[in-house]
Amino acid sequence: MTRALGWVAALGLAAGLTAGFGYAPREAVQGNVQRIMYLHVPAVLTAYLAFGLVLLGGIGYLATRRMGWDRLAAAAGELGVLFTGLTIVSGSIWGKPTWGTWWTWDARLTSTAVLFCVYVGYLLLRRLIEDPDARARYAAVVGIVGAVNIPIVHFSVKWWRALHQPSTILGPERAPIDPAIGLALFVNWLAFTLLFAYFLSRRMEIARLEEQI
Amino acid sequence: MPSNWGYVLAAYGIAAVAFLAYWRHLARRARALAARRAAKARAA
Repeated sequence: MTRALGWVAALGLAAGLTAGFGYAPREAVQGNVQRIMYLHVPAVLTAYLAFGLVLLGGIGYLATRRMGWDRLAAAAGELGVLFTGLTIVSGSIWGKPTWGTWWTWDARLTSTAVLFCVYVGYLLLRRLIEDPDARARYAAVVGIVGAVNIPIVHFSVKWWRALHQPSTILGPERAPIDPAIGLALFVNWLAFTLLFAYFLSRRMEIARLEEQI
Repeated sequence: MPSNWGYVLAAYGIAAVAFLAYWRHLARRARALAARRAAKARAA
């Protein structure tokens, strides 16, 4: 099942690359550098999903004390850091030719960096505590508190005056983008979600085996 | 508007390396666990 999911994710990524580089047109204002958005936007949406699952896993563990919830939270936390890291790096690479700088202390960028650091801390905490029950309990609390950052990151462009543009995909209004660009974003978002599901499944299986040995 | 393909390739290249590295990391851990399980089964 997991292997099949991996192949589907690989096909999805190939379709995403085709959509982003072969189907979507060159953006009129930004030029080719806008194609980084087919990586940047799906990466941040996948990171939101991952941290949402950390929250769910934490609540589930505290409510039931079943280790399966903790495995879900641990695996999703690791992947959330991976996808947030990619979000920051791809955004920085896009920012240099577009804004003229690799980094600025804009509200969206800063809150995303804080989100990244909080979940790196979450993973470090998990490594520091040896007792599985105590680790799951403390990690659940950090995972739940850390989730407060998700709406802060998402709405930071509305709450503060920011250089970063407002949300295009998860915004309140209909996305003002060309349908071909919208489709390429959708295909890449789907591919990233499939890749996330594949990695999550494998990581949770490894965690289950580690508990057995 | 310059083509900026270098930035695009850098972003996608870094993503590809990150995904492949994570995939390899998971594969190695799974293999190590399978070996430990097999050794444990032989010892029992």
